[in-house]
Amino acid sequence: MRKWIVGLAVLLAVGWNVCAAEEKAAEEKATGEVKSFPVYTDAKSPDNHYIPSGWMGDFGDLSMDDKYMGDPHSGSTSIKFVYTAKKTQNQGWAGVYWQNPANNWGSKKGGFDLTGLNKLTLWMRGDKGGEVIDKIAVGGIKGTYPDTTEVSVGPIELTTTWTPYTVNLAGKDLSYINGALCWVANADSNPNGATFYIDDIKFEYDPALKPAGKKTQEMPFYIYADKGSIQNHFIPSGWMGDYSDLKIDVGSTDNPYFGKTCIKITYDNKATNGARWAGMYWQYPANNWGGVDGGFDLSRAKKLTFWARGEKGGERIEEFKVGGIMGEYSDSDTAGIGPVVLDKEWKQYTIDLTGKDLSYIIGGFAWATNLDVNPDGAVFYLDEIKYE
Amino acid sequence: MAPAARKKAYVKTLKDGQYQLMVAGRPFIVKGVCYNPIPVGESHDYDFWNDPAQPWLVDGQLMKKMGINTVRFYQPGEDMAAVRRVVSDLYKKFGIRTMMGHWLGFWNYPAPFYDDEDFRKKVKADVLAMVEALKDEEGILFWVLGNENNYSFSGKINSWSSERIDKIQDPRQCLLARAETYYTLVNEIAQEIHKIDPAHPVVMGNGELICLDVASTFAKDVDIVGCIIYRGKTFGNIFKTLKNTFDKPLLFVEFGADAYNAYEKKEDEDMQAYFLEYQWAEIYRNLGGTAAAGDGVGNCIGGVMFEWTDEWWKHDEWDANGLSVHDTESNWSNGAYYFDIKADRNMNMNEEWFGLVKLLPEEEKTSSGQVLNKRVPRKAYYAIREFWRHPSKSSSIKSPERPAAAGKNKR
Repeated sequence: MRKWIVGLAVLLAVGWNVCAAEEKAAEEKATGEVKSFPVYTDAKSPDNHYIPSGWMGDFGDLSMDDKYMGDPHSGSTSIKFVYTAKKTQNQGWAGVYWQNPANNWGSKKGGFDLTGLNKLTLWMRGDKGGEVIDKIAVGGIKGTYPDTTEVSVGPIELTTTWTPYTVNLAGKDLSYINGALCWVANADSNPNGATFYIDDIKFEYDPALKPAGKKTQEMPFYIYADKGSIQNHFIPSGWMGDYSDLKIDVGSTDNPYFGKTCIKITYDNKATNGARWAGMYWQYPANNWGGVDGGFDLSRAKKLTFWARGEKGGERIEEFKVGGIMGEYSDSDTAGIGPVVLDKEWKQYTIDLTGKDLSYIIGGFAWATNLDVNPDGAVFYLDEIKYE
Repeated sequence: MAPAARKKAYVKTLKDGQYQLMVAGRPFIVKGVCYNPIPVGESHDYDFWNDPAQPWLVDGQLMKKMGINTVRFYQPGEDMAAVRRVVSDLYKKFGIRTMMGHWLGFWNYPAPFYDDEDFRKKVKADVLAMVEALKDEEGILFWVLGNENNYSFSGKINSWSSERIDKIQDPRQCLLARAETYYTLVNEIAQEIHKIDPAHPVVMGNGELICLDVASTFAKDVDIVGCIIYRGKTFGNIFKTLKNTFDKPLLFVEFGADAYNAYEKKEDEDMQAYFLEYQWAEIYRNLGGTAAAGDGVGNCIGGVMFEWTDEWWKHDEWDANGLSVHDTESNWSNGAYYFDIKADRNMNMNEEWFGLVKLLPEEEKTSSGQVLNKRVPRKAYYAIREFWRHPSKSSSIKSPERPAAAGKNKR
């Protein structure tokens, strides 16, 4: 049975519904009463409702002190996270979910009915400033007892000053939330790791908050500008075919076209997984093959441009592509160019997006090739990948 | 070309640029199914046209009850008298029309030499002989030229080339040269068909939308673009994209979903019905000239589901022992069919399980005393029958309940 919010007396009434909650919330606002449901206020606070137990990705790179007493935002403690970015589990990213009960990945009933609340607020600061958090999300745990919603924001770049961040949950189904909050950071954006602090995490009701429309992204919209750039979007997480034969270095300093770094991709000719072809999708969120509702609205884009060169020249890429991931939440369209034979020198390529429906893109960029046309494998470089 | 009024079937262009198929003077939505009634234990070369059990009489009855009005054959058999009888029976007994296809030599060994003049002449003559033999059959609706032949342009399947094309250095230009070569042949055949049979439109069977921008230049005389599409729940932006690249009426000549869950390793009728209902809902939203068109593009004239019955020979057609086994080993991977994409190696598409109707090894007697494999309609049969009866209710499609799958991200 789902747990009901004990902190809100009015919510205990049988037959309580959203309308009633909103009316009550309006009442509370009128009386100056603030309606909220804490996730974390202070160490050992009886008001804490979730546990930061769901460690993901390179969990060996993480350490946590949930009783950290240095300069909390309020009360006497905050939570200190240290992410070393050493890729202990070879994932290149790490994150933490606040769950109820602890370690609940959807296999058992738990969570809370948060209907009537419409915002998550938390305070964050970085140890040095410049720490990049890929996303902050509410919900999204699947399993037999899945969360009823998933909403994320990010990336965000922290400063050394406590700053509030919010996740707009207006209009979302919050009737079962086991994963109250998660943060995700990756090693590319934080090559030297990141130390940061979180405090005062709570769900709230804000009567002025409207459901967030899908934001149409401004152009240019970068997939890759430079290693660790906050301008980067999408993650090269979708490895296909002979994925064991692929290597990617997103911080190659081997003659980048622009900036300090470029992407170096190595495709060995071992056919380790028996496919004799390989490819890679830049996805959002990471590993999204259409199972997660997380696409960008890139409707303003007229083209995607990128720079590419081969290590030797003559490397043949069968296709460079935008979109085309199909699943429960599919890309709204697809476009591509190819085959392309790379030169040894940098050359710009363009995928024409005129007339395409780019209102929902989870597969921001992809390439694919095979051993028939690259019998010795291929090493090639990419840089300045962006929608314009 | 004969005046439209004298044609048995033609596509009408409406004032707003939408397309509507007219058959016998009335608007017609293609509610079709691919039909290849090969019994359990037989292979792809089985001559079902001369099957003494006449499976089309049993199947035609079931199809009619479901609401199917069109069948698609990929190519006629060699015995044209037998073919005529099947086409005639389906139409006269059940009102079901026939889309007759031709592979255009795509499966010839060693390769389809589309850049060879003799090969082109032979293919052309073969198609025109088919048209001559069948054009006066009342049940004929369309001619369908090719089926995914465009996948050969990149060499993915049935790779072909010529000295002329091999001289082109740039691989992209090579691909485009193959496309031009093939589509030019399709166009020449379409022109010839129009001369000898102005009563039936010519459909070009293309895999996805690949190279249709080339076809728009070199295959202008085809009447309808027939797309083979396996995109799961949604056709995506295909309607608008086709409108922008090759503005012709759109017919899905192959689409659908299998009924075997490769992750749970069991038959899954819910999964198949779920995808098919979504697919038909999108087709209806994009029909031209109907009240249901709504916010759609209006360039679609219907669809042909793959397929009527399961085909037990498909998994390994050269293994005689496998012909009597309903194989569950998947043949390919497609993430758009996401319920079972976490199957081992992401192999989730089961070619032997696409039937709207199960084909069982048990046999039952027909009214003429012959025996046929027992037919058992799957859930999709009833779901689509209901959809066609009440298409406006399609908004309430519910996802089949199932536990979430776990697996690696690698594909």
